[in-house]
Amino acid sequence: MAQFSIEPAVAAEPIPRARRFRIPGETLAGYALVSPAVLYILVLVAYPFFLALYFSLSNVTVSGGFGGFVGIANYLRIIHDPVFIKGLENSLSFTFFAEIGKSVLGIGLAFLLLQSLRGKKLIRGLLMIPFTMPLPLALLGWKWMYDPQFSVINRVFGDMLHLMHQPYPVWLGDPVFSWFAILIVNIWRGFPFAAVIVLAGLISIPKDILDAARVDGAGFFRTWHFVIVPLIAPILFIGLIYDITFTLSDITIVAVLTQGGPNSATETLPMLAYQTGIAGGNLSTGAAEALILFPLLLAGLILFLRMLFRRAVEE
Amino acid sequence: MSTTLARSELARPHQRRFNGRRVRNRVLLYAALAFYLIASCFPVYYMLVSTLKADYDLIDPSVNPFWFKRPLGLEHFQYLFTRTNFPVWGINTVVVAACVLGITLAICIPGGYALARLRVPGGQHLAVGVFLTYLIPPILLFIPLNQLVANLFNLENSRWALVLVYPTFTIPFCLWLMLGFFKRVPKEIEEAALVDGCNRWQAVRRVVLPVSVPGIITVGIFAFTLAMQDFIYALVMVSSSDQKVINVGVPTELIRGDVYFWGELLAAALLPGIIIAFVYNYFLDYFVQGLTGGIGK
Repeated sequence: MAQFSIEPAVAAEPIPRARRFRIPGETLAGYALVSPAVLYILVLVAYPFFLALYFSLSNVTVSGGFGGFVGIANYLRIIHDPVFIKGLENSLSFTFFAEIGKSVLGIGLAFLLLQSLRGKKLIRGLLMIPFTMPLPLALLGWKWMYDPQFSVINRVFGDMLHLMHQPYPVWLGDPVFSWFAILIVNIWRGFPFAAVIVLAGLISIPKDILDAARVDGAGFFRTWHFVIVPLIAPILFIGLIYDITFTLSDITIVAVLTQGGPNSATETLPMLAYQTGIAGGNLSTGAAEALILFPLLLAGLILFLRMLFRRAVEE
Repeated sequence: MSTTLARSELARPHQRRFNGRRVRNRVLLYAALAFYLIASCFPVYYMLVSTLKADYDLIDPSVNPFWFKRPLGLEHFQYLFTRTNFPVWGINTVVVAACVLGITLAICIPGGYALARLRVPGGQHLAVGVFLTYLIPPILLFIPLNQLVANLFNLENSRWALVLVYPTFTIPFCLWLMLGFFKRVPKEIEEAALVDGCNRWQAVRRVVLPVSVPGIITVGIFAFTLAMQDFIYALVMVSSSDQKVINVGVPTELIRGDVYFWGELLAAALLPGIIIAFVYNYFLDYFVQGLTGGIGK
């Protein structure tokens, strides 16, 4: 059986199973039932992944068959491309600052959602809109809010509150403001998810542990630091890795709002890979630009697996 | 209820000391809640107000941006349904999502059952392997997948390409969720059916599947909403207007050059967006469960 490439990292453990009805051919039937899922992933995830790897090491273009093997020439070329460097920088900085913003807002919101509130279900539904509404559609609202002429942000903070002065920023047309505009949308999109993850952790903490901490005289911050975080670390960690993966690889926000502009100020690697590989038809360079992200994502994946393994051992 | 109240002391450890403090905490609580609600909902609220306004009020600086001056208009919605391709995109979206739902269930129900109940040596590892593919984001795959779908499956520029590709991100989640649901069905009822003379298939069909219906519906709707969140595959694989789904049709075709038809555009984004947002919200807990609890158990 061909295995998925990350499989061997999981330690083998026998599946404990009580003696029960033995049905001949059960194992065979089991494999037969699982195989469609495995086959689907092998053909449409594993195979394209290795194909991407091959593309990045070849000189294939959209018109030219499989192309010839060129080794790491594509990688060597793109690291001297200033647009690529800008994209890498932005991908990392957007992810880093967005994670901070999301964590702060998300932890606050999680504690808020722990309180007894009237109409909590509806409130939660409204608070989750940024995460649950399809992103490309929500972004049109943002595009209208960032409109160069009729930006509601400028109208509120400029015309109404007089906190900004003319000329008002052209949010998506200025290299500095557009960077912040993209970051803000990134945080807006993700903080409800962060809250849900933290909340899932908080709810799983047995109440008597918190009572014990209170009896021992621990204040809020000590309880948070010494009791809550260690207990919910696995959940926080899984949520964080998932979120980093999808913030780092997100193309939607930049594609709809700025297309990487103005003048590469908001270029990210996914956007650049799309522009080179699909719009420009240069499959090999595009694949290389996307795969640069892979070592970062792989690090997350390995941490994820180690976490998993540790939990499996504890249980 | 009592646990919720007790838990709230976590955030406000000294609330019982005196009453003034309690009132103040309550005020702070609602102020914080108001901040979050505005942060979350303002863009959507603003879309709603904007799309109901008349076009000339939209760009008139003397009009309060948060409210209507003239009577509400639904012309934007009317225009959207009669003069644009929006209805076609809507149908495409539903067709794609429904097919993805079907494929996902057809693969995950048997797979989940086998992993939960049958002797499948190495099955746990297979399941973890499938689940972890969820951490391989589309951005690493879209260039070769586009080639593969066009050349190998001959689905260039077709909505069926999306039907083929979307299960790659619904299966990992849904297989785990299905596995979890089947594990919670008591083994005894299945064994009782076997003792009563059913064979394995009959036991599954008459006993296990009927009690798993809520789980199956959950996983199905979840796959449906996940399929509606994609952008990159739809952008890359489909370019003719009559094959597009809403997520790509609206941003790529209703934004025409630098001239924006904001009213229609926002109507087109809001209508499906809100519906999906609320359906997804209902299943959000399963998403978190699939992400955090499904693993390691």
